[in-house]
Amino acid sequence: MAKITISEEDFQKFREYFYRKVGIQFENSKRYFVDKRLVERINATGAKDFRDYFTMLRFEASGAELQKLVNLMTVNETYFFREEYQFQCLVNSILGEITRNKKDKAPIRIWSIPSSSGEEPYSIVIYLLEHWPGLAQWDVEIISSDIDTNIIESARRGHYSARSVQYLPATLLKKYFKPNAGGYQISEDLRSAVEFTCVNLMDAADMRSYRKFDVIFCRNLLIYFDDLSRRQAAETFFDALNPGGFVCLGHSESMSRISSLFRVRKFPEAIVYQKPGVNL
Amino acid sequence: MPIIKQHIAQVVDTDERERPRDLAGLVAELELDNPTARRWAARDLAEFQASSEVLIARLKREDDGSVRDAILTTLTRLGDTAAVAGLVECLRSEDAALRSEVIEAMKQLPEEVAPIMSGLLADADSDVRIFAVNILESLRHPQVEAWLAGVIEHDPHVNVCATAVDLLGEVGTPLSRPALELLKARFPDEPYICFAVDLALKRIGED
Amino acid sequence: MKRILIIDDAATVRLYHRNILEAAGYAVEEAVNGIEALEKVMQTPFDLYVVDINMPKLDGYGFLKEMRRQDIDQAPAIMVSTEAEADDRQRAYRAGANLYLIKPVKPAELLIHVHLLLGEVRA
Repeated sequence: MAKITISEEDFQKFREYFYRKVGIQFENSKRYFVDKRLVERINATGAKDFRDYFTMLRFEASGAELQKLVNLMTVNETYFFREEYQFQCLVNSILGEITRNKKDKAPIRIWSIPSSSGEEPYSIVIYLLEHWPGLAQWDVEIISSDIDTNIIESARRGHYSARSVQYLPATLLKKYFKPNAGGYQISEDLRSAVEFTCVNLMDAADMRSYRKFDVIFCRNLLIYFDDLSRRQAAETFFDALNPGGFVCLGHSESMSRISSLFRVRKFPEAIVYQKPGVNL
Repeated sequence: MPIIKQHIAQVVDTDERERPRDLAGLVAELELDNPTARRWAARDLAEFQASSEVLIARLKREDDGSVRDAILTTLTRLGDTAAVAGLVECLRSEDAALRSEVIEAMKQLPEEVAPIMSGLLADADSDVRIFAVNILESLRHPQVEAWLAGVIEHDPHVNVCATAVDLLGEVGTPLSRPALELLKARFPDEPYICFAVDLALKRIGED
Repeated sequence: MKRILIIDDAATVRLYHRNILEAAGYAVEEAVNGIEALEKVMQTPFDLYVVDINMPKLDGYGFLKEMRRQDIDQAPAIMVSTEAEADDRQRAYRAGANLYLIKPVKPAELLIHVHLLLGEVRA
């Protein structure tokens, strides 16, 4: 096999395309990192050179190759209090706005998708218990969903490695977990606070019972979807939200590559997306 | 503890879409005051082949973004002649937001748009020609490079050419080099064109 | 160093404007549409905006209106457009633009307006 090389112009061309499609902009200093992964994919796909590969990438109807690249170029791991600034935004800004605009005393509904092994929905529960005084007046429902039944089982069990809880303050670890079998077992109270469900975000029938949410956390998922699925997911979120409800995406994700259905809103802690409401 | 667990199925008691979902019923709902009802009607009309014209008519006067979004999604699903013709009409709209949305929708319809592409690229309105080049961006069609080369060889409007060069830098092959050189000769006093052509030539590379 | 945000869906146009402005000593960032631009402004406002009109997801008018309405930033904005009609100009000013230029913009023309809008006197 001839050795594949990526020229400066190839890199620039790829960088612009990736930025336009995914919204991630590589600095020139990332050249080595990007080149290495491109060469890996060129070899894996049997393309004869960069040009050949780039044409395939650009015109592939399924977008599968672009998703492979996104996987290679990003790190996806989950742990307690990941992207904590968004939980701060939830308790300091978002919930205040929601409760001010609520016309009834119906519970506040939060949807966390994908649940993965449960770190995110449980982090939300801990954050609410620790940092949101509104809990004295408002009921909250937390629903968390995933497409993978095995991972949902693991989320329900609530057993975590030391790595998974490494960013939790020691006091909280002590308060909500018990050391167990080389890891940590989350408390029964927390386990019983989250409703875990199995759903396929792309299945309209599945989604019909997901309505009247006030906040949706969907972090580091849509970036791995193709254009059409991302758009469809945004539409699903729009329909699942109450007017004025919020969507929180992961820090390397942006609605700017997905949909214009939502307004961009700035809070001191984070930038989030809002479904337009009656008075907005 | 006020964090309460609720089974998901208990939350939504009734389907919001209560009215009959036949063609006449949905068309009537497209005119309701409630944008949520209009949005659902637009989505459910995807099941009816004959609905493109009525959707286009609504699209032109719809001012709720979420309803327009649903109409455009349905039109791209239908993708029939009436849908495509209606989308082309909207490219001439005064409303910049609608034009951009329509361009995005047309990008989803490569098969259906390809047969009318030559006509769009020869349109009397230079803005429509620019939008046609914008649509080419995601058109998976063997003619794309030839169309772009044709634009930069012949189109008299500098901004139509400018839009085409931008795309050629990404999708072009050495076959387009002569057309690019010619473009520079046609607009020798336009620094932007010279810059864009040089960049495209560099990106395309030699054979 | 003054910061300028270039908002345009065409990569070549962004690079062209970037080169001109960086050579004149400005720090430049880019956005491909109005939504990304709003996100960037919300993180840190800029000293000036160079805004295209036709862009996917959120166009130039929509970006300016939203930025001015949410009072995220009132810094000067130059709208650059392929359209030379009087209506478009009016619409741009109503949306909150301070200046309307027709594409393609010559380097000297862009710079002189940038300097003026930023209140900089340069020899």
